[in-house]
Amino acid sequence: MRPAAIRPIALALSREMALTALLLLGVSFVVFLILYLSPGDPFSVLLEGQMAGDTARAGIREALGVPKAWYAQYLSWLGNMLKGNFGTSIRTGLPVFGEIVRVGLNTLTLTLGSLLITLCIAVPIALHAAVRGDTALSWPLTMLAYVVSALPVFWLGYLVIYVFIHKFGLFPLISGSSGAQEHAWLYFMVPIAVLGIANGTISEVIRYLRDEMSRVMAEDYIRTARAKGGSVWRHAFKEGLLIPVTEIIASKIPFILGGAVIVEQVFNWPGMGRMAWQAAQDRDFPVIMGIAMVAAAFVRLGSLLQSLVYAAVNPRGPQE
Amino acid sequence: MKHYSQVAGEIGAYSDLPFWKKADRGDLAYVAYGLFIVTLVLVSYALGALKLLPYDPQQISIGLLNAPPGRAGHLLGTDFLGRDILSRLIVGIQAYFLPGLLAIAISLSLGTALGVVAGYRGGPADALIAYFNDLVDSFPRLVLILLVIAAFKPDIYYVMVVVGVTGVPGVASLIAGKIRFLRQKNFIEAASVLGLPAHVIILKHILWYNCRTLLIIQATLGMGEAILIETSLSYLGFGVQEPTPSWGNMVQAGANYFLQGRFWPSTAPALAILFTILGFHLLGDGLNNILEGKRKK
Amino acid sequence: MQRIPVVVLLILAMALAMPAVSWPDSKRDGRPDGGILSYGEYGRPATLDPITSNEMISVRITELVFSGLVAIDEKQEIVPELAERWEASKDGRTYAFFLRKDVTWHPKEGEEARPLTADDVVFTYNIMMHPKTITPLKVRYEFIEKVEKLGDHAVQFTLKRPILNALAKFSFKVIPKHGPSNPLYLTREDPFVQRPIGTGPYILRNITADREVILVANEKYFRGRPHIDKFIAKPFADQNIMSQALMFNAIDMIVLVNPRDLPEIQGDKRFVLQPYNALSYAFFSYNLRNPLLADKRVRRAFTHAVNREEMLEAFFNKQGTIISGPFAPGSWAYNLDVQPLPFDPQRAIALLNEAGFTPGPDGVMQKDGKKLSLSLKVPIEKESEAVKRVVLAFQNYLKNVGVAVRVEFKEWQAWKADVFLEHNFDIILASWVFDDSADISSLFHSAEIGAWKNNFGGYSNPEVDGLIVESKLTLDHEKRRTINRKLHALLADEAPYTFLWTLTNYSGYHKKVRRVAIHPYKFFSFADEWFVPESEQK
Repeated sequence: MRPAAIRPIALALSREMALTALLLLGVSFVVFLILYLSPGDPFSVLLEGQMAGDTARAGIREALGVPKAWYAQYLSWLGNMLKGNFGTSIRTGLPVFGEIVRVGLNTLTLTLGSLLITLCIAVPIALHAAVRGDTALSWPLTMLAYVVSALPVFWLGYLVIYVFIHKFGLFPLISGSSGAQEHAWLYFMVPIAVLGIANGTISEVIRYLRDEMSRVMAEDYIRTARAKGGSVWRHAFKEGLLIPVTEIIASKIPFILGGAVIVEQVFNWPGMGRMAWQAAQDRDFPVIMGIAMVAAAFVRLGSLLQSLVYAAVNPRGPQE
Repeated sequence: MKHYSQVAGEIGAYSDLPFWKKADRGDLAYVAYGLFIVTLVLVSYALGALKLLPYDPQQISIGLLNAPPGRAGHLLGTDFLGRDILSRLIVGIQAYFLPGLLAIAISLSLGTALGVVAGYRGGPADALIAYFNDLVDSFPRLVLILLVIAAFKPDIYYVMVVVGVTGVPGVASLIAGKIRFLRQKNFIEAASVLGLPAHVIILKHILWYNCRTLLIIQATLGMGEAILIETSLSYLGFGVQEPTPSWGNMVQAGANYFLQGRFWPSTAPALAILFTILGFHLLGDGLNNILEGKRKK
Repeated sequence: MQRIPVVVLLILAMALAMPAVSWPDSKRDGRPDGGILSYGEYGRPATLDPITSNEMISVRITELVFSGLVAIDEKQEIVPELAERWEASKDGRTYAFFLRKDVTWHPKEGEEARPLTADDVVFTYNIMMHPKTITPLKVRYEFIEKVEKLGDHAVQFTLKRPILNALAKFSFKVIPKHGPSNPLYLTREDPFVQRPIGTGPYILRNITADREVILVANEKYFRGRPHIDKFIAKPFADQNIMSQALMFNAIDMIVLVNPRDLPEIQGDKRFVLQPYNALSYAFFSYNLRNPLLADKRVRRAFTHAVNREEMLEAFFNKQGTIISGPFAPGSWAYNLDVQPLPFDPQRAIALLNEAGFTPGPDGVMQKDGKKLSLSLKVPIEKESEAVKRVVLAFQNYLKNVGVAVRVEFKEWQAWKADVFLEHNFDIILASWVFDDSADISSLFHSAEIGAWKNNFGGYSNPEVDGLIVESKLTLDHEKRRTINRKLHALLADEAPYTFLWTLTNYSGYHKKVRRVAIHPYKFFSFADEWFVPESEQK
């Protein structure tokens, strides 16, 4: 990397980190407030199966050392979090951080994997359309992309499982503990592929990439390069492909996270979605706060990546 | 966030040919299909509201559970309680239509307001709004929705408020971007030199002439997204609750029978979702290409 | 009903039943050792110890890992388990248990196995009753006054007062003194709840991140090493997928088969469907605080209006029994002479008329200008097709006799607050799970009306109160049975609930697993005897 590029990257990085910290703070506060104001007792999950009176319920808070006032609770959580302690789940007693990292990584794999698949499908189609214009092939491909984008992922999942079961005679679910499972790699890929195809963003990605690519190709500097007989590709790549791809990835991550929840459920993928739902239902404060932080961090990761790419490619400074 | 290309060098309305003569066949086809779907949705909505349905969507028929299409006059069969699927599909539109409009109304109005302030004023207002945008963008929308449902109740309108608010940054940045673009082209400066008051510039020239297509397109895409969110939530069990029909909860109810080989109860609503979202997407993209101008080779 | 939010009345901690003879090292019953059994559960266990666990999934695992002083066998008789014999005093106030001397705790990694002593029993009781331990069990054992150690292998419990069938209560699981890291009280943060150590036939080898639990055979199990080498509990988030997993041999057994899948499994020769009856039943409960529902004719009318047979057949493949009163039909307290109210809409309408209701202009019954319009609140659950069917069919049946029912699905916590705290409901659908004591006092006694108590319908009847108290005080089993039968008849007549049915639970498993005896209301109690023939072990 050229020395001139390092400083803007470092600047961009530090700016993003500061912003991220501020944002995470904001997110945590809002989430906490909503949780606090919602009906339901976070400790009632411990008392399930036993009809405890009010005194027993109050007794739990005392027994577990929960501070009384809401802001004290928030500050105590914040204090612990800054020390790296995200607390323990009320329901399982397991440390939140460890649990979330595990499921978070699983969801991250699913999300990023599916993004990769989406790009693998979208990028060639977009490039083809941008570079070659409207050919006989581009229309059916584009239509296919549109149809696939409108397909509800929750239905596609079942369809895929049905096909595997009845046409291939395979049961595409990964089994954690049962030793060597033939086709395990295949089973790993299935939910990623399903999410990659049906997350609803393919047509938009194609369109965005194609438009950006076309726009860049029409820019003067490219025309000049072409006229001079130079390689269009090298010049167009950075602005026409790399930047739009990171932009669209960054903006679509939150959307895909939502689709991941559904896929996780159908394919028994041990991810964050299930944990989030269970925690919301149980009002498991520490877990929800942890998940909110991690999910927000994911999203920031996307913008971080975007800023880094901008800075690396455009040392003059990022434009909006 | 949805991004659309800024077409260099074209400001204001085209003056020569009416747009439908200049447009690409494909785009016209998209728009035609899209409009067809929108009409279908509106008509069905009306039918549902006026209760002009083949069967009562809540009428249970214990003897006729999960009937295939065509049985006993049920054009699309019955669901797990023997209720007519076609009628429920029609009424299911009500699950997302008005809530979707709410979401769109919120994101467009707030988004435009913020975008105008950010773009027109610039400076610290811009930075503050940018922070706000980033904050809202960072919010894990799903977690927020789950929380809202837990905190209040599984009401689709509450959810759509969340969706609307989380859609604000996208619209705001588009509007702000458009304004910056116009500013770059000295459009705004020219207008104010001519003595036009600020609110006229903003309302008439910026928004109406230059942003309206953008907003229309955002509205169509917003509806597509609202359908997706509402059906996904209802599928998971958080959105519209029984016995009110929603395409999402119909797919969920039918999915229980899918692996046994009975496809129809879940496929009918899934196809409805497919064709409708497709319609809105195509409408949005077609309009975008036609109205905002498409790069011709 | 399997996925209705079960408001558990009492959870029995059950131990294993004992075969006729036992040797400490291997079961000399001629059956082969070996094989792995993986079973599917819908949901994931939170904790794995017998004290903090309050979900059926966790309790099932504790049946495999832990033992109690005594156990209850399939004939519902008390048999020895950790205690080889016991002595009860004449006044019924002291029970002394003499422990086996050959029981050892599951060894920790690299350590020697420690023997079970009386200290462990005392420890278990103390930690269970500590105010800072949060457990559903405290209520069950409040009748115990104190426990003391009589020797290394002898303990004595002193009761506050003699109670009927006290011995059965000593089936609670015993945990080791060296187990929890906190010697005084047990919280969910204690590593012991995730890495339990017991004396049962299976040792917890591992629990994976996605809550898959792996249990291996305890070579030193005091009844002889269990046959099957390994048990694996696999959690599923989707019941349809779980059923398919069984069909595909990804798992060998499903604990509770969804009625929807029964025909498919039944038709497949590879699998066995085994029924077992939980002592539970489903019901619609009415809020008697609403004046419209205070009249018992109205409630009886509702019961007549509902066609329970049709629902049982259409929704549950007829796999269950319709009940007429507040006990499960398998229970000793059930009064078989009392018939369920028949489906008779005409009679329902007649009763409503008698109660002063007449059809209004829109068809809805009304009285003094007040419409018979009620709210039916149901908690939202993922796998709840059965609940939806019953609830909506109920709404339909009542519509046919002129009653307007508004169905509201609410989020779980909000529902609980409405039902148990605010008492803001007219009708709810729920089910109770019982143990063998058939104690319905907390459901219908007037003293149990209040915040977070089980008599959420607000039913109050001095005659019922009297019978309940009498039943609790008597020490004669036959007398108790007579009283309960009277209660049954009375409550059937009063109809504070519309009693629905007890469903037959089915477990589905691959036929390679043999000698599967399922405890009447606990699942794995006899699991150490299950075996897989050598030819089918993998």
